[in-house]
Amino acid sequence: MKPETNDPLASPTKIKKKFLNTPYPWLIPLSLLLIVVFLYPIIEIVRMSFSDMNLVDSEYTYTFESYVRLFTLPGFWPMLGTTGFFVFFSVTFQLLCGFIVALLIVRGESLKLKGTIVVRTSVLVAWAIPGVVIGIIFEMLYTETQAGILNHFLSLIGLGPITFLSDPTMALLSVTLANIWRGTAFSMILMYAGLQTISKDVQEAAKIDGAGPFQRFRNVILPAIAPIVLINLIIISIDTFNTFDMVMALTQGGPGNSTEVIALSIYTSIFQEFNLGVGAATSVILLLINISMTLVYLRVLGKGRNES
Amino acid sequence: MTPKAQERLLKIGLYASYAFIVIVFLFPLFWVASVSLKTQSELFEVPPSLWPSSWQFENYWHVLQTTPVLTYLWNSLRLVVLTVIVTLMVALPAAFALSRFKMKGKNAFLLVILMTQMISAVVISIPLYRLFASWDLLNHFLLILAIYVAVVLPLATWFMKNYFDTLPEQMDEAAIIDGCTRWQLLTKILLPVARPGIISVVILVAVQSWSQFVIPFILIDDAALYPVSVGVVNLQSTQAQITTHYLAAGSIMSIIPVIILFLLLQRYIVGALTTGAVKG
Repeated sequence: MKPETNDPLASPTKIKKKFLNTPYPWLIPLSLLLIVVFLYPIIEIVRMSFSDMNLVDSEYTYTFESYVRLFTLPGFWPMLGTTGFFVFFSVTFQLLCGFIVALLIVRGESLKLKGTIVVRTSVLVAWAIPGVVIGIIFEMLYTETQAGILNHFLSLIGLGPITFLSDPTMALLSVTLANIWRGTAFSMILMYAGLQTISKDVQEAAKIDGAGPFQRFRNVILPAIAPIVLINLIIISIDTFNTFDMVMALTQGGPGNSTEVIALSIYTSIFQEFNLGVGAATSVILLLINISMTLVYLRVLGKGRNES
Repeated sequence: MTPKAQERLLKIGLYASYAFIVIVFLFPLFWVASVSLKTQSELFEVPPSLWPSSWQFENYWHVLQTTPVLTYLWNSLRLVVLTVIVTLMVALPAAFALSRFKMKGKNAFLLVILMTQMISAVVISIPLYRLFASWDLLNHFLLILAIYVAVVLPLATWFMKNYFDTLPEQMDEAAIIDGCTRWQLLTKILLPVARPGIISVVILVAVQSWSQFVIPFILIDDAALYPVSVGVVNLQSTQAQITTHYLAAGSIMSIIPVIILFLLLQRYIVGALTTGAVKG
């Protein structure tokens, strides 16, 4: 091929053609959208967090005051505690339940049981339902009177009625439970994929060598799916830290502030207390959580790549 | 115990756990459907009955007539369909370039894309709210659409890039020798082969956009423009406790479209979720 790069007489169409043979034009729309919708707001929110802006005035000065106020606000540390509880228990049980369901499905498939697809689909439906609708659905299940269905079932076994949403501690538990229901599907499907990568031969060999179910689980299954468990752990943690919609519909953060998780507290600071600085500072904290977890994710992902 | 008896026991155990799982995951939906078909007095019955005594389909009719739920559904549908189309238009060329071109800093670029996917929608909505409010651009359909696209774009791009990576490059070489331009290579050769991957992306994007809440909740304050997620919360806060059956009917209507999509395309979903997350 003859070199075209330095040809001063290259026609515009040729230049255009040349340009299309580089990756850049293909990436321009993507880059523009990401810059406007992500980069600009991130720079802005950091700037806002170091200023005394509010939603109405256009005058402002730069200050550390928002952070000082945030850390000394009486509600801040309890809010982080609430978020921590919500994330820890959601993630633990989403992982656990997802894993158990996946294991049961894979076991059933290997025995050619009917109905494994029905199980898989029923769990996955929870993933497709909007978070706000899940909040509304659980609000109906959690009805606190005797007419509430969960309280009815509990009273049949001699428990209840339980004040699912009006007692602060119970409310946090109830919200977490709803979130476990919501997020189990995602863990299940990842674990399901992971389990299918383990070859049947390896499992059979372990069986022939006399490994019991527990030994096979510890020495064959667990090491094989460990990378996926880790990736799953990080993705669902990030998701749970960012949860807003379901809690908004289920409790609006109440009673009191007992279910006000971090994403909700940002919204409340800004749109209900009109405290832009504190809300922006809280956003920066959430942003730092998201970024640090992404970095861990990349490390795990990078490690997995080098090994394979 | 003989191995045969053991296997039988195992099967019984598995079926029992299947029944339990299915009940746990479908009962909440069944309950809302049941509530949506009850009469008002049945809502307060003690003990509550699982089935509605008479199927009150009028509840649905009532919600359709007295609330803007159809408008909400229409808004969501429009937004989701356009988001899917625009996302494909942006993500497919980008994924093609990231899969087929050599370029400096490609890995760094891919990482930046991945990072944006992890950022909370609440965080980005607030500066955008301020910007739009100061320019009088809240409620602007095209801007909302652009943000919807940007939010699903990282996942769609990563997913399609991974999908293109699995297609052999000999195909490209053959096409180029035949005189295809890059554009023709993408549209005439790769896209037809990548159809299963594209369907998966369509499902992921559609479900995510249908569920999107924070962005319209913050950036739209004109109730006539609410998508169904925000609309349902609006119904929830304006309907008193006494009208739970109407709220239930509204909720059921808001999830029927995704459930239909889901059941129709269910075989693509497992693949989409696994490749999207494991490789991405």
